[in-house]
Amino acid sequence: MRTLTRNHRIAEFRRITQDPVLFVGLVIVVLFVIITVISPIYAMVEESLTEKGRELFERYLTSPVYQRIFRNTMEMGLLVAAIGTALGFVLAYVQVKVAVPFKRLIHFIALVPIVSPPFAVATAALLLFGRNGMITYDIFGVRYDIYGLDGLTLVLTLSYFPVAYLNLRGMIQALDPALDEAATNLGASKWRVFRTVTVPMLIPGIAGSFLLLFVEAIADLGNPLVLGGNYEVLATRIYVSIVGLYDTTAAAVLSVVLLVPSLLVFIVQRYWISRTSVVSITGKPSGTPQVINHPLVVWPLFAAVMAIVLLIVIIYGVIFAGAFTKILNVNNELTLDHFDFVINGYGSEAMKDTTQLSAIATPIAGVLGMLIAFLVARKKWTGRHALDFATMLGIAVPGTILGIGYLLVFNGPQQITLPVIGTVTVIPKLTGGRAVFGGAAAIVLVYIVRSVPAALRAGVAALSQIDPAIEEASVSLGADNFGTFRRITLPLIRPAFLSGLIYAFARSMTTISAIIFLTTPRTKIMTHQILNEVENGRYGNAFAYCVILIVIVLAAIGILAVAVGTTTGAEKTTIEGAA
Amino acid sequence: MAETQAGTLVLEEVSKVFSQRGGQGDVRAVDRVSLTIEPGEFVTLLGPSGCGKTTTLRLISGFEMPTSGRILLDGKDISHRPPNKRDMAMVFQSYALFPHMTVFNNIAYGLRVQHTPRHDVQQRVERVLELMGLSGMGNRRPHELSGGQQQRVALARSLVVEPRVLLFDEPLSNLDAKLRVQMRSEIRNLQRRLHITSVYVTHDQVEAMALSDRIVVMNNGQIEQIGTPEEIYRWPVSRFVADFIGRANFLSATVQTSREKEATVTLLGRTVTVSASALLPPGTIGTAVLRPEALLLEDDPTLEQVVVEQTMYLGSTVEYIVRLGEQRLIVVDADPRPGRVFREGATAGLSFEPETVHLLAEPAI
Repeated sequence: MRTLTRNHRIAEFRRITQDPVLFVGLVIVVLFVIITVISPIYAMVEESLTEKGRELFERYLTSPVYQRIFRNTMEMGLLVAAIGTALGFVLAYVQVKVAVPFKRLIHFIALVPIVSPPFAVATAALLLFGRNGMITYDIFGVRYDIYGLDGLTLVLTLSYFPVAYLNLRGMIQALDPALDEAATNLGASKWRVFRTVTVPMLIPGIAGSFLLLFVEAIADLGNPLVLGGNYEVLATRIYVSIVGLYDTTAAAVLSVVLLVPSLLVFIVQRYWISRTSVVSITGKPSGTPQVINHPLVVWPLFAAVMAIVLLIVIIYGVIFAGAFTKILNVNNELTLDHFDFVINGYGSEAMKDTTQLSAIATPIAGVLGMLIAFLVARKKWTGRHALDFATMLGIAVPGTILGIGYLLVFNGPQQITLPVIGTVTVIPKLTGGRAVFGGAAAIVLVYIVRSVPAALRAGVAALSQIDPAIEEASVSLGADNFGTFRRITLPLIRPAFLSGLIYAFARSMTTISAIIFLTTPRTKIMTHQILNEVENGRYGNAFAYCVILIVIVLAAIGILAVAVGTTTGAEKTTIEGAA
Repeated sequence: MAETQAGTLVLEEVSKVFSQRGGQGDVRAVDRVSLTIEPGEFVTLLGPSGCGKTTTLRLISGFEMPTSGRILLDGKDISHRPPNKRDMAMVFQSYALFPHMTVFNNIAYGLRVQHTPRHDVQQRVERVLELMGLSGMGNRRPHELSGGQQQRVALARSLVVEPRVLLFDEPLSNLDAKLRVQMRSEIRNLQRRLHITSVYVTHDQVEAMALSDRIVVMNNGQIEQIGTPEEIYRWPVSRFVADFIGRANFLSATVQTSREKEATVTLLGRTVTVSASALLPPGTIGTAVLRPEALLLEDDPTLEQVVVEQTMYLGSTVEYIVRLGEQRLIVVDADPRPGRVFREGATAGLSFEPETVHLLAEPAI
């Protein structure tokens, strides 16, 4: 039987090689993932295991300072995950199941944090709730110290709860209303239905959101840099190791410490939660969900939701107001100086560079995501699970870790020595001084690596909605794999492709942790510039950057939607009239 | 061997083994299947779910590769040829119409893939639209069509490329009962007219019998029996086949004498000569297959007596479930004369027509 399985694999492989386009695509994808995802992570782990690294490990494990940092990180992660998931759940539940007004508005506002740059929220929170806060001091007269765990929890929760919201909203929508009806029919009250049917069905989703938020929170670098104060977490310590101490080994060691919980969560997500999920996403709802309209339930929930919405509105209000005033709350004179600084002055370079690099990365990430989704979801070959896993690592590992990995791998040219030809540079120096394209290539690679996973998941989800027989029909009629992908699959997954592109662009424009070590004087990135402005107290400039960044992202979403199209052509149209 | 013509399909000892995840043994979905399908012949693979019929079809189409054995089309080994290079076209259970294309573009798809000149595409699509009774529907989208029309488009799309072999994967199972019967006869007529070698998979024995020149009954990945619908119904080789095709009562019969394809047995107290699937030594107890219509109920106290447990009056027939000792039998009276219907609880004499009885070598349970 063993030889039989091996022959089988050989036959599988031969079948893929029979289709040259598919084979070339596969080779490119695998090489890409190995070079841009696996090798940096590997290099980072390798660096941490050098003699010096092992010594540092021992030192850190016993040092109270580092134990505290580790505890802080976990504490912050758990708090953000718990509160963020709860917020996301309340919003999602209200959105789907409770009769409240302004649902569309609530939905839109809940998504705003996703397209905004990191620590825009942190900076606004500083102005609102800090020692001279417009709310804490001006209204309540309290000299509140926002630096530390409380401020971080507030800011990170607001930044990341939309992820939980979207995740859970999808799952609640996918719950079969017939289950509610069955439970009600058997005599259960609405509260009992909620407790015994809705929540148990959503446990995988809740757990998944919790873990996702936990990882996002412990990996976040921008917010702790702005609001951490004396409350140090792993991400900030890694940053200081590189930027302040130039100690790559120390950074690698700390990164491994950060990597372990992140990877654990990723693996639990992948192999436990996805397997135990009882919500069928593909099944069409068999009825309309029952809506809860009891006033004692509706109005308290509505009040809670409006409080969250109001907070978001105020925070983004501060960002806009701050961008258009000299110094918000000190000198409220209206001005366009900050925009002048960003658009025409010092900041214009960063604005152009960031937009250009994101625009380069976006289509590559979108196409790669769809291609990998196709290879993983539609082609039977040993190793497809490994490819999926490795691709997902791009986002599963904290950005700082990827950044350090890039520093380690690409700080010199990668060369191989061939017998006759001599030394050949396979990959030139991509990071640091005198890197090709001023380090821009490495930044684009990181943008792609961080964006492909979302495109991949969107692609796989879209493919799972398409009957494989449709593609088989195309092949059966004589089309090869590439022709089938181009004529049938790609048009049908167009909406997923679009959402992959939008995500890629928004993510690239707003990312900081992964590229903070890769920017060079020749290549300036907006998020990094924002951080500089915040650290130097020039909030007006930072806010103007944020506003412009948001405008660019929104404009790009519009352009992409028009260029790619939001429909597949398979949607049912009511105008033409069915037969 | 006769000279191979266009559309001769041969399966030689074809097996397909799926390796299980986690290495918990392998599943032999198709087990040494050998079969020769003549040009223009309509062959149905019939069996319960999991019997390997669909996998066999997918092996023929090229969507799966055989683990061992060979598949030949007109004498050429195509076992490892990709599905798009096999000159076959498949009609799917779900129709698998391209939802983002019009009916016309769906049908034109295969021709365009082959780079057929534009003018020819237009002509051939129009012709097949007319043939399938779809004229004027070229600009519709698949979701604007009824189930039957979608099925016609799926068939048209496969026919237009003029494949050497047409493959059908339970194409009628999504249609309602009436439409199914109608499409069934359409498929049959079309296939006879166009003379395309066809392999059809179904678990519906009535469909198989209505359509096929020959039926291949499969079970556990193996072929149980190959034959014309009549052969399979009248002379099943096993209890499985007898039970799967139509309904059957199984009674023990003691063999007196046995010749080739024939045996004299004692059955229900009578000694009769019946057809047999194998030679059996005298004294052996075999299984007699009696179709419900082969049994008769009569008001005759000299016959073996049964109790009528259930009477179902179905108009043209009356069905009885009767008890004979421990055994329950189905009896169908195709000519229920008024006043001759037995009521539930009544006792009746059980008789049969020897010429419709068939003897299996398996012992009765």
